[in-house]
Amino acid sequence: MKNIDNITLDMGGGGAKSSEIISEIRGILKVKGKWKNTQDDSATFDLGKEKLVFTSDAFIVDPLFFPGGDIGKIAMSGTINDLSVMGARPIGVSLSIVMEEGFPISDLKKIIMSINKVSEMAGVPIVTGDTKVTEKGKIDKIEITTSGVGLATKVISNSGAKVGDVIISSGDLGEHTVTILAQRFNYQPKIQSDCKPLNKEIEKVGKFLNACKDPTRGGLAANIIEIAQKSKVKVVLDEKTLPYKKETVAVTDLLGIDIFSLASEGRFIASVSKEHSQKVLKILKKFNPEAKIIGTAEKGNGVYVKTELGSLRRVEMPRGKLVPRIC
Amino acid sequence: MKELIQKINAIAKEISRPVSLMEVCGTHTQVISRYGIREILPKNVKLITGPGCPVCVTAQRDIDAVVNLATAGIPVATYGDAMRVPGYFGSLDNAREKGAQVFDVYSVEEAMTLKEKYPELVFFGLGFETTAPMTAWGIQNGLTVYCAHKFFLPAMEALLKMGELKVDGFIDPGHVSVVIGKRPYEKLKIPQVITGFSSQDVLEGILMLLGQIKNNDLEVLNQYIGLVKDGGNLKIQKIIDEVFKEADGEWRGFGMIPNSGMQIRKKYAAFDARIKYKKILDGVDFSHSKDPAGCKCGDVVRGLMESKACPLFGKVCTPDNPVGPCMVSVEGGCNVSYRYDRM
Repeated sequence: MKNIDNITLDMGGGGAKSSEIISEIRGILKVKGKWKNTQDDSATFDLGKEKLVFTSDAFIVDPLFFPGGDIGKIAMSGTINDLSVMGARPIGVSLSIVMEEGFPISDLKKIIMSINKVSEMAGVPIVTGDTKVTEKGKIDKIEITTSGVGLATKVISNSGAKVGDVIISSGDLGEHTVTILAQRFNYQPKIQSDCKPLNKEIEKVGKFLNACKDPTRGGLAANIIEIAQKSKVKVVLDEKTLPYKKETVAVTDLLGIDIFSLASEGRFIASVSKEHSQKVLKILKKFNPEAKIIGTAEKGNGVYVKTELGSLRRVEMPRGKLVPRIC
Repeated sequence: MKELIQKINAIAKEISRPVSLMEVCGTHTQVISRYGIREILPKNVKLITGPGCPVCVTAQRDIDAVVNLATAGIPVATYGDAMRVPGYFGSLDNAREKGAQVFDVYSVEEAMTLKEKYPELVFFGLGFETTAPMTAWGIQNGLTVYCAHKFFLPAMEALLKMGELKVDGFIDPGHVSVVIGKRPYEKLKIPQVITGFSSQDVLEGILMLLGQIKNNDLEVLNQYIGLVKDGGNLKIQKIIDEVFKEADGEWRGFGMIPNSGMQIRKKYAAFDARIKYKKILDGVDFSHSKDPAGCKCGDVVRGLMESKACPLFGKVCTPDNPVGPCMVSVEGGCNVSYRYDRM
């Protein structure tokens, strides 16, 4: 990383700069062990018949509470989802909390109750954890780290998309980011954060998925680009069937931000063979009627949108934070 | 849509000579590149990007001024793109990394909320008639502002007066026009079409411009008809006029343009950061407040150079490590060109 001495905010944005700092970190860490898929949502370890799947995630959210969820719901769902998109059944999650002095206990309870609700819904227990308290002002209110383990018979990596596959979205995307952004404007859209655990629905269709990711940070753009790159295919999305609600489009148009980089916290995208696609879609529609085919995997590389003019427009890797238009 | 393109092709053939149309709004620049509109136009119709990106035309001196306010301990808030423009003293982002209190906001309302926590907060206001009304509202409600807002029309006049390049017609900015209306453009005596922001809008705007050029008309036509009225939005014009007066304004690439700057009126002097923090600003050495070495942003905003022709483009200067503001801003010619035209 040339000419840069200090951490910048865009290194945490899930875009190009994030990838750079992560490779710097990985470069220093020498011991590799027998783990596989260490560049994926979770790493895997061969246990013989099954594979152990392991993931960890840190959560900072502002505001802590928002329509459709809170930091606890995101933290618990996020870790369950990172295991699920690898094809694993989550079996246990750890919960580490750092709070600043003065943080209201009632808020902490609300957050823990929300974690419990996800835990019950997904059937995944919190099995260990840690708490630390810092002096007031040393951190911003509360930070949560969750790690999780799961077991998988078939690992779904993000490099398995094949030419001829269709790309399926488990529902409309971006509603989490739109909800958080709307809070900054006192604007009250009808939509809520899409945050939720995905293990039940992925369990039902897992065996048919060639590649799978949950488009959290970096949104559809960063995640579908990753699938295309790692699978060595070209993905073409159809502008007519993009998985976004009209409220989401309205907010991004209003602000002039890139819709493809909006995060979802309870959706996944998957590459599925044409043969299995209708079956998968039928199952997914039971969980969310908005599930649909959004594109195809073809020979070549890169991710494109077929525009209404018939031209192919490249989908770019999100860079840094979302910036509104001012002209 | 196909029909539109066919019509454009037909009329361009009739005109037969090379025609240069300039878009002067950063959002148009994005739409044009995103939909590859340049590539589908006939060969004799060229689109040139003009001074429509607010961050790009903000003078280096203004960037240096707010960075110095921030490093002097004054909390500063502004729009995301403006945070990353490198000045002689670094960018606002750099100042924050070193510990200054710098905040990016999505709206003036958000700056007002921050002001409750940081009473000394200065909002760095920039942009044209589109963002100025919100800033004006902030000032009326006690927000201190370092004002770099600009009236847009004088830049179009300056561009034509300078005569450095031949423009056959303007794709006028839709958002600015919602505020100022259609009439002010009439004095420019050149074919113009106020245009909306979908790909179809832009193609229609181009078709209407070509029609005028073919018939030697010098009109201001309105394609963005649902939203732009002849007289504009009087309510918004009034709030701008209440808070700001015309003054000379400094633009990157242009230098001083008479009557293009929005200056905070005396009545609101208590909220004018240029007055309130005069001491700090007087102590700043602005002698280095020029375009960074080798950066051609000045030429890019005047439409004299295509982004890709700049020797720094894509090599030294990228969106991750921008040298000049046109590569920083998502509305900047270089940034847009880097993202969409490198296929």
